[in-house]
Amino acid sequence: MSAATNTTDATTGKAAQPSMLATAMPLLLQLRKLAFLLFFVTTLLFFLLRLAGDPALVLAGNDASPEQLAAIRKQFGLDRPLFIQYFSYMWHVLQFDFGKSLASGEPALWKVLDMLKRTLHLAVMAVVFSASLAIPIGAWLGFRPETLGRRIVGAIIFVFQGVPGYVTALVLIQLLAVNWHLLPSLGYGPLEWKTWIIPTVSLAFFMAPNLIRVTAANVAEAMREDYIRTARANGAKPRELLWKHAVPNALLGTAALLGTQFAMLMGGSAIIETIFSWPGIGWLLLESVQTLDFPVVQAEAFVIAILVFTINALVDLSFRFLDPRLRSKGT
Amino acid sequence: MNTASDRPVVRIENLSLAFLGQDTVVEALRGISLNIAAGEIVGLVGESGSGKSVTAMSLLRLLPRGKTRIPATSSVNVLDRDVLKMSDVELQRVRGGEVSMIFQEPMTALNPVLRVREQMFDVILRHQKITEDDARKLCIDLLRDMKISDPERTFNAYPHELSGGMRQRVMIAMAFSCRPKLIVADEPTTALDVTVQAQILSLLKERATATNTAVLLITHDLAVVAQLCDRVYVMYKGKIVEEGPTKTVIGNPQHIYTRALLNALPEGKAPKSRLETVAAAMIEGEAAVSPVPAAPIQPVQVASGKPLLEIHGATVRYPSRFDFLGRTTAYNTAVDGVSLTINEGETVSIVGESGCGKTSLANTLVGLVPLSGGRITYRGQDLAKLDPATRREIQIVFQDPQSSLDPRWPVWRIITEPLTVAGRKSRADLRAAAGELCTLVGLDPKMIDRLPHEFSGGQRQRIAVARALSVRPRLLLLDEPTSALDVSVQAQILNLLLDLQATYGLTYLFISHNVSVVRHISDRVAVMYQGQIVETGPADQVLSHPTHAYTRTLMDAVPSLEKVFSAA
Repeated sequence: MSAATNTTDATTGKAAQPSMLATAMPLLLQLRKLAFLLFFVTTLLFFLLRLAGDPALVLAGNDASPEQLAAIRKQFGLDRPLFIQYFSYMWHVLQFDFGKSLASGEPALWKVLDMLKRTLHLAVMAVVFSASLAIPIGAWLGFRPETLGRRIVGAIIFVFQGVPGYVTALVLIQLLAVNWHLLPSLGYGPLEWKTWIIPTVSLAFFMAPNLIRVTAANVAEAMREDYIRTARANGAKPRELLWKHAVPNALLGTAALLGTQFAMLMGGSAIIETIFSWPGIGWLLLESVQTLDFPVVQAEAFVIAILVFTINALVDLSFRFLDPRLRSKGT
Repeated sequence: MNTASDRPVVRIENLSLAFLGQDTVVEALRGISLNIAAGEIVGLVGESGSGKSVTAMSLLRLLPRGKTRIPATSSVNVLDRDVLKMSDVELQRVRGGEVSMIFQEPMTALNPVLRVREQMFDVILRHQKITEDDARKLCIDLLRDMKISDPERTFNAYPHELSGGMRQRVMIAMAFSCRPKLIVADEPTTALDVTVQAQILSLLKERATATNTAVLLITHDLAVVAQLCDRVYVMYKGKIVEEGPTKTVIGNPQHIYTRALLNALPEGKAPKSRLETVAAAMIEGEAAVSPVPAAPIQPVQVASGKPLLEIHGATVRYPSRFDFLGRTTAYNTAVDGVSLTINEGETVSIVGESGCGKTSLANTLVGLVPLSGGRITYRGQDLAKLDPATRREIQIVFQDPQSSLDPRWPVWRIITEPLTVAGRKSRADLRAAAGELCTLVGLDPKMIDRLPHEFSGGQRQRIAVARALSVRPRLLLLDEPTSALDVSVQAQILNLLLDLQATYGLTYLFISHNVSVVRHISDRVAVMYQGQIVETGPADQVLSHPTHAYTRTLMDAVPSLEKVFSAA
């Protein structure tokens, strides 16, 4: 009759408990990457800024005499050879000392961190808000993309995708603040929830269309997978098919894009921050570059590099959370 | 064996179904009728496109309603209720409850982000009013019935942590979980290795018999049907052309198509003989041009004996773990000290299951994967140091012609690409060469401007062969060249390969998991298992009188018509 049936084909052989080192390895590898990144960012910026202008001139002002300049050079060590300056600078950076702001005299890093707080507030709000819009709408659109209602909504979203964030911001200010006096038009107040609404909504209008489209495309793709057919053959209701089976598989793309958008907000939020007089790191970067405030620019680049890196690491982490297959693959 | 019941579990009457495209209507089913009694195991056989999977899907109305048309005269009765007239809620109760399904691809049929536990609970709690604790006990029992040695672990595993065979056991356990009256199994073992297939099929049969569950087994493999089914339906182009008790249909086929299908199987035919492909031309619309020699092939004399390719202790390792500095700390060994000699003009086959290292070995021979240890010589020279012209004498044909041909290139460019690597040629020369090569492999030379998607699977594999032949190779590596093809098309490709070998004295290294194909085409056979060659010798000797334990297991597992009939 038939062949032997008692032999079992093995599940994947799990190795014995991994060592501590093996467990920490992904983290170590990440830290190694971060160290390289920071080294290159700091070095590159150090030399680029030296090309951009003479810090002594900035410190002393344009009408300083050659003696004053020489004195300042001596005081700040700018008369030493460039490489000595570089090593001394890097030594200080290792201790998170970027020097004092040339404009205000505060430690540069403090100044950046103070502004960063505000940018992060806004960015996190915007990310949370866009994600909570994009996932339900995207799931709904991707579930049966060919129906008429969804096509119309899809087309509207497509149009919104082409509208820059500052246009939405200006329209919202005009309507809600100027015409109807419902909300304040500008200002930063961490405890004043009303000041949050227009900036958050403007950023979300900018971010969400893309997120919705990516989510919808991924949901639509997941709906064509074999496991959806299996679930249907097992009697799953449409709602279960979508939320239990398709959406969890589709969120990887959403998470990836969300990470990219978050990272872009870190460096590129200057326009929104200017429109709303919401001073954050985008605004600070503009300001310090214009006034050649070297320590602040350098501290800021350093902080943004760490932030962007962290966001990417968080996205990777979310992948592992969302997809068990990535959990067991190591790095 | 069956509990005779008057009331059939399934009664399909005059079912027709058409797929509606933008402006096309494709008729997939043309009035089929089919009955399954309680506890009966029924086979549904046919080649791809015959409509067998559509029939299965229709049983649970799984095809999109807006895109299909079913005439009002059709009915699909499951336990005397017409599935076609059910409401969505009724349908959801039947799906996974009274009727459950097992699908072909265990790798994709389970949701990758949910644990086995969650997926089994999903079905059980939907159809049964029991507590989670009881459901859990039920699942563990079901998995144990599937002869899973550690059901607790499997229960808590994610699908990717399980092998293909394990996943299919989980699927079967799920299918039985709500005590269905019918299980529809759509090619349940096609994606699995033969030894695993044998286990899965007997588990399925055992459970079905024990629980008196009817099974509709859909397959292209007549040997599987012969082994498992009480009755069989043969489908061809949306119609049922023959039905009856398995032994009658296979032992004494009435319809021309059934006969052709049986004749196309290499099993039981004289080695290297031409396989009959009567039906082939009419089935696939396969190229009407007949392959090169019209005369029947003379069996090629077993090689002039001069070694062409010699493999000495070849080892292939892939890095699998890295340390902090990115250095490799561990390897997976795919090929582990393999030695093999291939003589001029002979066909040597490597048989083995997935993961045994046979494809790694082939890729090493064409330089796609570096050798980690050992030595390979071609015509006495080290393979790694061959001059380009000699190296070109070794060519490869891959398994899946769907993915091994660039979809945006016209056929003439695909076929002549190896020629352009060898040196610059004019477009006119290349096109002329492509035309000749097409004729050689039995394709119409007028088709050289078409794109790959305009061809059938068999034709695409002919294109792949033509590409390999373009630089006049002496040694052709054939990596599972027929495993993606239907039986009747497989017969054509095997005939073509034999013709070409007879005409040009080619040497073949044929890699396959299909024992009857290997037996048909080979002079010598090497059996590969876990990276090593465990047995080698003349084809008939190795396959008929295996000495190694693994070879014996393999041969026992191969479903075979002969075995079934000699047992009777």
